Parts: sequence; C-alpha cells; structure tokens
Amino acid sequence: MHIAEGFLPPVHAVAWGVASAPFVVHGARSLIRDVREHPESTLLLGASGAFTFVLSALKLPSVTGSCSHPTGTGLGAILFRPPVMAVLGTITLLFQALLLAHGGLTTLGANVFSMAIAGPWAGYGVYRLLRRYDVPLMAAVFCGAFVADLATYCVTSVQLALAFPDPGSGFLGALGTFGSVFAVTQIPLAVSEGLLTVLVMRMLVQSSTGELTRLGVLVASAAGRKPTDTTGAVGR
Amino acid sequence: MLPIDAAAHSSRWRRRHPADKAVLGLGLTVLAISLPPWPGAALVLVTALAVLLGPAGVPARRLWRAYRVPLGFCVTGALPLLVQVGGPDGFVSWAGNGPLRAGELLLRTSAASLGVLLFAFTTPMSDLLPRLVRAGVPAPLVDVALVTYRMSFLLLDSVRRIRQAQAARLGHTTRAAAWRSLGGLGATAFVRAFDRAARLQNGLAGRGYDGTLRVLVPEARVSVRFTAASLALLAALAVLTLVLERPLS
Repeated sequence: MHIAEGFLPPVHAVAWGVASAPFVVHGARSLIRDVREHPESTLLLGASGAFTFVLSALKLPSVTGSCSHPTGTGLGAILFRPPVMAVLGTITLLFQALLLAHGGLTTLGANVFSMAIAGPWAGYGVYRLLRRYDVPLMAAVFCGAFVADLATYCVTSVQLALAFPDPGSGFLGALGTFGSVFAVTQIPLAVSEGLLTVLVMRMLVQSSTGELTRLGVLVASAAGRKPTDTTGAVGR
Repeated sequence: MLPIDAAAHSSRWRRRHPADKAVLGLGLTVLAISLPPWPGAALVLVTALAVLLGPAGVPARRLWRAYRVPLGFCVTGALPLLVQVGGPDGFVSWAGNGPLRAGELLLRTSAASLGVLLFAFTTPMSDLLPRLVRAGVPAPLVDVALVTYRMSFLLLDSVRRIRQAQAARLGHTTRAAAWRSLGGLGATAFVRAFDRAARLQNGLAGRGYDGTLRVLVPEARVSVRFTAASLALLAALAVLTLVLERPLS
C-alpha cells in the first residue's frame, strides 16, 4: 500500500504534500492544544502512536494463503478520531520510511494523504453513520475498517494513475490497471482487516472498557451502567 | 531495536550532525527524482552505493536486507506500466514503451531509496527527533514522536513474546485459532501500550513532570567541510548528468 521512495515525479510529490498539509496541521493544532491543557496526554498519545506502529507490523493471514500487514487506519480512526490519526499516521509513516524502508520521504505526502487522511476519514465516516442508525457496534466496526482499508487502496491507485497515465487510455485506463493489480490482494485484505479489527475491538470491549470510555468509543449509560459489548453497549 | 536503527547507533558517522547527513543523503534522493533517470539516477545510485559501503561503512549484508524491501515495492509498482488498456491490440496489451518506462522508474526509485537509506543507516532516530524542535517543529509534537519511538520497541518486544506464548499454547495450529490469537495480540498490544503510558505518567509525576520531556542529545556541530563536500558532490552529479545525457541517450 505504501508508495515507494522516488516513485512519484517531483511535482506530484510536492502536490500531495501540499494537499495533506492542512489536515496534518489541523490535527497537530488540536493535539498541541490537548497536550497543553493535559500534559499527561503526551504519554497517552505516544502510546497510541506506538500501538498504531505495532499494529501495522502485525502479520495478517490473507484469504489467498499469503500474509500481509494491516493498515490500522480504521481501528486508529475509531479509537483516536481522524484528526489525531492524521498526526499519528504521519509520525508512523515517517518511522516506517526511516526505520523499515517502507514508503519514503519524497512520497510521505502522498502516503499520508491515502493512509492517514483518506482512509481514516472514510472509515470513521461510515462507522459514525452506521452507529447513528443503531447498527450493532461490531458490524459498524467491521464496515469502518473495511472501508478505511479500501479507501486507502483506491486513493493510492488514483495517485499512481495520475502519476503514470496509460499511453492509450490516459488516466482512466491507468486507474483500471493499477486498481486491477491491487484489487487481487487488497479486497481480501480489506475483509481480513475488517475481521481482525472486530476481533480486537471485541477483546477491548471485554478488557479495556475504561480506556475505551476515556477515548469516547464507549459511553456509560445514563444509569451509570458499566459499558459492555454489543449485547448492551452504548457505543459512540 | 530495529535493524536499521541498530546499525545507525553503531555507524561510523554516528557523531556527525544529522544536518550533515541530511544534505548528502536526502540531496541524493532529490537528485534521483529530479534528474533524467538515464544517466542521472544511475549515477546517483552508483554514488550512493559507493558512499554507503565506503566512507559510511555500512555492512553490505545489512544494506541488502534493508534495500530489498523497497526494491520489492518498486518492482510490484512498475509492473502495471508494462501493459496498456484499450489500444488497437485489444482491451489489454503490452505497452510499446512499457519496459522503458518501467526500467526508468526502477532506476529512479532504487537510487532514491539508497539516498534515504544513507541517511537512515547513519542517523539514529534518537539523535534526529530532539533536534526537530530547533528546526521549528512544535515541542509537544516532537515529545509525542519521542514517546512513540521509545515505546514502539517495548511494544514490538511484547508482541514477539505474546506470539511465542500463543504458539506454545497451540494458538496457531488452525486457521480459526490463528485469527483468535491475532485478535488477542492486537488487543493485548493496546492494553500494554496504555498500561505503560499510565506507569510512565506515574513515574514522571513523581519526578516533577511539567509536560516537557527533557532528553540528552549527543553534542555535534554542523561540519562546514562535510556539507561543502556534499554539495560539491551533488553539483558534480548534476553537471555530469547534463553533460552525458545527450551522448548516452
């Protein structure tokens, strides 16, 4: 899913950096405000960033029999909200570029746009929409994670198609080619990531209601009842 | 610790200021994507490789282990350039100049990756992050990045141990068990991350934590000679590319 170092022409690399900047700056400003008001948030946000980094390093069994890595954008967006994910995702992508040689510095803007902005916002939007219509928590979590993964892959295909239009059919032809190549692996992976996110969320609901309530994923009921899972949870 | 960062801590250029290495490494990357792939990116690739294995002293095997990752991404990404959609030869056919475009792309990405690897293999993250404050990045953001960096290794270690424990309890024997174990792994990583953050908070509170994380940064000065030599090398590469471009193309 990462666009490798040097893959994009300089104009595209700069353009995607400019497109990502407002989202990252907005997220950074809210994060800085939060840290100034609550200094202890630094450690929780750092822990969240480390969790996002580690989540992207987990090996995910694919339907085809191979394995890959989850993007973590859906779970991250549901847990920490998209503005915070824009910053945490940027930090994670920077670390991946320098510590793992995944992605790159010249393609950081494009990767941030697909993985830390488009994916989280799309996934979070679907999750919130479904929760508004009282869809069960775990179904909403699955759809959010699935859409976040798929949106990330679609945006990456658009970025590549814009940079390398097809000689015969232009942008649309290239989008079809890149989309087809990635779809073989990414649609099963999006399903896998949705399932994994549901499993993680189920266990978190059972073991970490305090943290989930503090993050706003679960809210305690008016009667003061302890939040539980889909059998009676009050999910945000 | 991850292999690239571990190599950076024992690098021959560890004591150099990160700005010195950024000018050289990231300068090579910028040249790789800005100059014509042939001969520009090829020259950058050879130069970066020579600097990495020569003056920077990066072991060849470690370099290859790190380099094969971006190479794999580059090859996968270049494959679609070999075909075209909707031409006179059918819905999907071989693109006439596909191999040339794919070759140029591979050259450019492999050269650019080496430039970043030169920087990464010689600059530990712990040297780089605290200095970002002086470069204008807000301190709270740098603090969050520092905690993320330091906690990542602890969490990765925890995840490794949990996976071993799950395997010892036959947690990976069936597909269903593997999924259950993976879900447990993700959830436990979350719980451990927040537990560590809470314990770190308690420890720091006892030491008068006021919201800023103060860390010792090894003293280093920007070397004018090193930076000037790097800029001269980059300029020479650009000039050589312009001189050789016409005869070689």
